[in-house]
Amino acid sequence: MSSYSVRHWVTIGLFSALWAAVEVSLGSYLHVIFPSQTNTFFVGVVLGGIGVVIALTGRHFVPHRGAVFFIALVTALLKLLSPAGARLGPFIAIVMEGLLMEAALWTVSEPRVWTFSLAGALAVGWNLPHKFIMMRLLWGQQIAQVYVKMLQEGSQILGIAPSAALWILGILLLVRLLVGALGGWVAWKLGQAVAKRMGRRFPSTGEVTR
Amino acid sequence: MSPWGYLIFTGWASLGAVLLPDRWLLGLVALEVGFAVIWNREGLRLLRRPRFWFLVLATAALGPFLFGDPDVGIGVGGLSVSATGLSMGLAMSGRAIGLTMAVSLGMAALSLSDLVALFERVGLRGVGFALALAMNTLNTLQEMATVTLQTIRMRGGMRRPGIALRLFLVTTVANTLRYSDEVVNAATVRAFDPGVRRVAPLPLRRSDWVLLALIAGFTGAFLASR
Repeated sequence: MSSYSVRHWVTIGLFSALWAAVEVSLGSYLHVIFPSQTNTFFVGVVLGGIGVVIALTGRHFVPHRGAVFFIALVTALLKLLSPAGARLGPFIAIVMEGLLMEAALWTVSEPRVWTFSLAGALAVGWNLPHKFIMMRLLWGQQIAQVYVKMLQEGSQILGIAPSAALWILGILLLVRLLVGALGGWVAWKLGQAVAKRMGRRFPSTGEVTR
Repeated sequence: MSPWGYLIFTGWASLGAVLLPDRWLLGLVALEVGFAVIWNREGLRLLRRPRFWFLVLATAALGPFLFGDPDVGIGVGGLSVSATGLSMGLAMSGRAIGLTMAVSLGMAALSLSDLVALFERVGLRGVGFALALAMNTLNTLQEMATVTLQTIRMRGGMRRPGIALRLFLVTTVANTLRYSDEVVNAATVRAFDPGVRRVAPLPLRRSDWVLLALIAGFTGAFLASR
């Protein structure tokens, strides 16, 4: 924490604002088009993917451990403070995405493209279990019975084996992991491209870095 | 009430909504409504949202059809529903109301300055600074991104979407970093130092103690009943 300079906190704040702008504007728009009760796929992948790109690009310019988590934490708090954002689900989702990205980046001392991709995959992959965990928290343990009943009756109606549900979940998870990995890769390339164009990555010479 | 009170209430009520047995949920919701009436009437706006009630009532209404064996005839086309299912549906609705209200009444009552003060108090001054900065620059960054997009569009960049997307991303991030230079300069000339911990007083108020007593009473009653 003491290694963070003013510039680092400013960068964290600004990248959080970028992520929050996407969450508040695009997120609200998508949630209106695809309400959470009807959507199982689209919104989380899109918002998670964009969030991963922004947070990991920010990590390029705050080369310290914990930076991605702080970006996610500030974004989650901004979402909570937004007029329509007093909801636990998005808050937990964003904080967990930050934690998972940070955990992946902690595995190596110096980030590489594969750690960015792993971080992205874990973060976007989270939004599949997140949906079930939030349903369990919100509706209690009875929700498990609803799932089982829906699975049994759904498989009867469609004439497919109940085990196909596992395949469907597996495919949904795989798509999320791929989108997240792609987001991590894009963040890596984007950070490099911007740093190269701006001719700097670290604080400029002579700048006060407390 | 101080920010500590709202935080404590959110944490306690959220845990309660998740962990309490079904028959205690009504008490929890009653306590939450009492909290709202005394300390945060704004939080009750949640109860005026049709979408919230649609979700809650739909769950309660579906319970008799989803759970248990049909044992009570409702006199419509020989249809029977489950009494057990009804109580399970009501319990699910109660849990959803309890958890949603816990967040809506507690965390949502905190203002930006409350959160900044809390972070400063726990030694995370930088996070508080970043949060305040992000809140105040949200519109500026949105506008910068919009201007970038419009510029690319007006110059015909959309004819090649891949390049347009790349240009948009690079320009937006570069603009953000350029803007950060201005903010860093402004913060530095004001001698802002994230490493210096200013211990701003954030004491518990009388209403916090009243809330703590209520929480302790409810928790004690629950533990004694087990």
